This record gives sequence, structure tokens and C-alpha cells, in this order.
Amino acid sequence: MSRLLVEALAVAAKDLRTEFRTRVALNALGLFALTVLAAVSYTVGPYRITAEDRPFLLAVLLWIVIFFAALAGLDRSFVKEEESHTAPLLRLAASPTAVWLGKLGFNLILIYFLMAILVPLYCILMGYKILLVGGFVLILVFGGYALAVITTIVAAIIARALTRGALFSVLSLPLLLPLLIFLIQGTAGAADGTAETVANTLRAVLSMGGVMTIVSAMLFPVVWAD
Amino acid sequence: MADGVRISFTDVAKRYDLRVVFRAVSGEAMPGEVLVITGPNGSGKSTLLAILCGLLRPTRGTVSHVLNGDETAREEWRWHLGVVAPAMSVYEELDAMENLRFFARVRGMDEADQRCRECLELVGLESGRRTPVRGYSTGMAQRLKIAQALLHDPAVLFLDEPGSNLDPAGKGWLGEYVHGLAAIGKTVVLATNDRDEMKWGQNHVTLAG
Amino acid sequence: MRVSEALKWLLLVWLAVVIIAAFFYVRPAEGFIGESSRIVFFHVPMAWIAVLAFLVSCITSVMYLKRRDPKDDIRASVSAGLGLLFAVLATTTGAVFARIMWNAYWNWDPRQTSITILLLIYAAYLALRGAIDDPERRASLSAVYAILAFVTVPFLVFVVPRIYWSLHPDTIINTRGSNEFDSRYTQVLMASLVGFTGLYVWLYTIGCRIESIRQRRRQEVL
Repeated sequence: MSRLLVEALAVAAKDLRTEFRTRVALNALGLFALTVLAAVSYTVGPYRITAEDRPFLLAVLLWIVIFFAALAGLDRSFVKEEESHTAPLLRLAASPTAVWLGKLGFNLILIYFLMAILVPLYCILMGYKILLVGGFVLILVFGGYALAVITTIVAAIIARALTRGALFSVLSLPLLLPLLIFLIQGTAGAADGTAETVANTLRAVLSMGGVMTIVSAMLFPVVWAD
Repeated sequence: MADGVRISFTDVAKRYDLRVVFRAVSGEAMPGEVLVITGPNGSGKSTLLAILCGLLRPTRGTVSHVLNGDETAREEWRWHLGVVAPAMSVYEELDAMENLRFFARVRGMDEADQRCRECLELVGLESGRRTPVRGYSTGMAQRLKIAQALLHDPAVLFLDEPGSNLDPAGKGWLGEYVHGLAAIGKTVVLATNDRDEMKWGQNHVTLAG
Repeated sequence: MRVSEALKWLLLVWLAVVIIAAFFYVRPAEGFIGESSRIVFFHVPMAWIAVLAFLVSCITSVMYLKRRDPKDDIRASVSAGLGLLFAVLATTTGAVFARIMWNAYWNWDPRQTSITILLLIYAAYLALRGAIDDPERRASLSAVYAILAFVTVPFLVFVVPRIYWSLHPDTIINTRGSNEFDSRYTQVLMASLVGFTGLYVWLYTIGCRIESIRQRRRQEVL
């Protein structure tokens, strides 16, 4: 088991190193998020939404930005391997599960990095007041995890399809919609202090993340090999 | 020192939808032997090689890697094989040592820095260079690929046109090295059209094309 | 006449009787505007088939990954195509019904949301299949996607409606659960369900046979 973790860590470290030197995914994620944030902040701003609608509508906008930023950059780690023709040697050298874990880890780091910068900025620019901050952070952490798990396996699938383009978004969205709905409701609940909604959401997101983790781990070797 | 691995393939055929690449190819590569796969361009040499090292599934037929009389499962092949092929690249953004360190770690080799340096020296590359592989000449990149394949001292070496991009000195060195590997009991499977490389082995499989 | 031909004729007669019964045998139900309750006889079975087709797709996908039998892949893709058709029909009839009853074609109540996501899943599955040329890779990748999609469905069906209520209390009560209608209504509804299932099985069988023949023509003798 620790063997697996060491190998997965090697994959993740390699992805981080190459990403750091080229910054393609980071740019895609970051630019998208910041541009949309700027647009939303400018047009909607902290004053335009009435107080009673704020918890919900601001949650909607926040998660839409996060999800679409994710869709802009999270397929990178798999697609790049195929495009640069480095996938075959990786396939020959590493165990499939180590590859999956490593790239999941990489995507997780990207998502959390995005959230760390985007979420505080969003709350400040949009004047989003959250009553249950602890619940909100938990929603971000587990929601981010579920998002990463789902996009990782879908990215693996479309990378093998060899005609990527919009396919990543098309395939991810039906799987992500339920998650998105939960996260929006949970965030709205955290904003207006409804602990029960937050608890329900966390339960749903955790189970979704858990199930998708198990299913992804089982199916990834099929996708990765020929 | 790894024990000998015998590669045998029976009635292997590959078809991509309507295009048949080859039909019913059989053969065997014994330890201490160089098996040469030849055929005109487009006859499927690289495809057959990919099937033999486990990257592709054959449409029909079987491939087995037998280590000391026991057939090994596909998940375990990664420890006993090394591959050099034009279609398979190393990581351009990393330098030579970083590439080798990665491939070592991902195969479960601990503390492999010394071994990485040895392999780089063996193929004639400087281990101290910090330039990313992107800045390498094709000859240097080819040498790095060879180093990557030898890193874990595999029992089987799959070579797809390994002399391409190498200068005559490099090709000469490689030919001798392959002979040396066969002499100590390694198995070598070589796909090539180069007349000199074809002489590296007596056992030939020719694809019709 | 062979058994399969006889069954086909039986199906035709059955569905014809169901359609006639839907309009003449049953009176419009209470609580529905005008004749709109009749749409339920078609809308509900269509939605049911859309879900059934998805289930078949997923089961055959799992079987394909286990046995690698190309026939399983054919079954999965044919069922998905039919599922898409019925999902579109169910969505359209549902929207028409919503317009008549509540004056809006679409209001994202839980059932409409669920059927939309099912539609998206079908569309994505077929888009994925369309993007891959190599038949074996197409089969295994789409099988994986079908299974992934199937795993997210329970979350939709069971969890979304419950949470949804708390935020949208004015959401319309779905009429699918109303079983207290008179027995004629239930009879025709059940008959329609059986008839539509038969229709699905028939189309599915034909579709699989056609695809099989198409694939056999492409096969060379290796």
C-alpha cells in the first residue's frame, strides 16, 4: 500500500513540476476564474442583489465560476500525456492505480489552489457574508474533492478518445450537475446559518465523493490500458 | 541480475476497424537471443512490438511472458521490460536526471540517483545538465530514451528502430551493447528496417505488409 | 405464423387498444384541466422506458467489460439510442402537460430536472461514441462512462427532490404518485406500461439485429 502511495506521489510530483514550468492548466484555470469574477463583480457587485436573495444567488454564481474554471483546466494532466506521446512510457512503467491516484492528487491541488485564491476574493468583491464559516470550509473541501474525483476519471476517458475539444465538458456536466446542486444549496445554507442544510449537503457530497472514488479506482485501469 | 524471460506469441493479429495490419503472426524470443522483426513500411512492426510489450491488445492471438517457467501476469510486466520507440517520448519539460528519477520512482526503485547517473554515463549523456529535454538534439533525446529503458536492468528489451537519430558511433555502441545484453541472458526484441540493425539477431520474424 | 410475428401483431393490437382506451374508455381525471390527464398514459410509460433503457445500457456495459463480447456493446449502444428517443418524448409530453396544468413549459421541478439530466447523460454517451473510431476502444470507454453515469443517478433520484423542497416550497406536486384514481385509469395506465415495454423490446431487438449485421459485414476473415 505504501508502495502505491510512493509511486502515486512520484506521478503527482512529476505533474506538478511540469505544470509549474509550463503553467498551462494554471493559466486556464486562473484566467477563467479571475475574468469571470471581474465580470460578475462589475455587473452584479455587492449591492444589486436583495438581502434575502443573497445567500442563494451568490452561492450559485460562486460554484458556477469554480466548476467552469475546473472544466477549463482539469483535463490537462491526462490530455498532455497523450498529446506529448509520454503516455506509453508511463503506461509501461507505472501501475494504473498509481497513475490515477497521482493525477487525482494533482487535480486536487489545482482545485484547492484555485479555491484558496478565488473564494476569499469572491466573498470580498461580492460582499458575501457567511454565517457558518466552518461548514462553508467543509463544503469547499469535500465539494472540491468530489469535483476532482469526477473530472479525473472523465479526463482519462476523453484523453483516450483522441478528439478532445468540448468532449470534456459534455461528459463531465451530467455527472457534475447533482453535485453542483448540492453544493449550491449547502453553501446557501452556510451563508444564512441553516445548519441542517449544511449537514445534509455534507452527507450527500461525502457519499457522492466516496462512491465515485471507489468506482473510479475500479474503472480507471480499463480506461488507461488498451 | 534478473532471470531470463521468454516472450512467445501465437497467431497474433491486429485489425483497426476495416484496416487489417497483420494476420496470424507467431514467434518466440528466448533469453540470450535477439529477435528481429522486419517488414516494409506500414507492415505493422511498431504495432507488433506494442502488442508484445503489452501496450496494445491483439485482435486475436496470445502473448505470454514466461519468467523461469512461470507465466507472468500483465500487471507485473513493467518490472522486467524496457522499451525504446519513436512513438514514445520522455518528458520534455524535465531534464535528464529528473526524467530518470521519475521513471525509477514510479517503478518502485528507492535511492536510485546513483543508478540514474550510471545509466546516463553509459549512453554518453552528462548527468549534470540542467537543460530540459526540449532543448536536446534528437540524438541526445534518443540516448536518454535508451537510458530510461535500461534503468531498472530489465530482463527484456524492446527496441523499435533504436538507431534512428543516432550518429554512426552511437549506432556502433548500441549494437555492441545489445550483443552484450544477449550474452548475459537478456532477451531482446528488435523492430527495424535498417540493414545493419537487422544483423544483430539471427531469429527473424518478417511481416508481409 | 411464427411466434415472433404473432407477438408483433399482438403488440400492434395491444397499443391500438391502449390508445383508444385512453381516449374513450376513461373519463378525464379529477384535478386535471380539461382532457390533459390523458397525456399521463403516454408520458409515464415513456419516462419509464427512458429509465429502463438506461438500466439495460448499464448492465450490458458491465457485461461487456467482463466478457468483451461485441454483442454486449451493440446492446448497450442500441439501448442508449432508444433511451434517448424515449427521454426526449417523455420530456416533451411532460412539458406540454406542465404548460396546460401550470401555465409554464418548464419549471425545474424534481422530475423535470431528473429527466433532463438523463437526457444529458444519453447525449454525452452518444457524443463519446461518435468521437472514437476504434471499435474496441469505443466499446470499453463508453461502457465505463455508462457505469459512471449510472452511479450518479441514485443521488439524483433520491436526494435531489428531498433537498429541493426546502428551497422551493412552491414547487408543484408531481402527479405521478397519485394512485387513488378510479380503477379504469389504473388499468389503462398499466396496460400502456406493458405496451410501451413491448414496443421497447421490439425496437431493441430489431436494432441489435441490424447492428450485428452491420458489424459482421465489416469483419474480415482474419
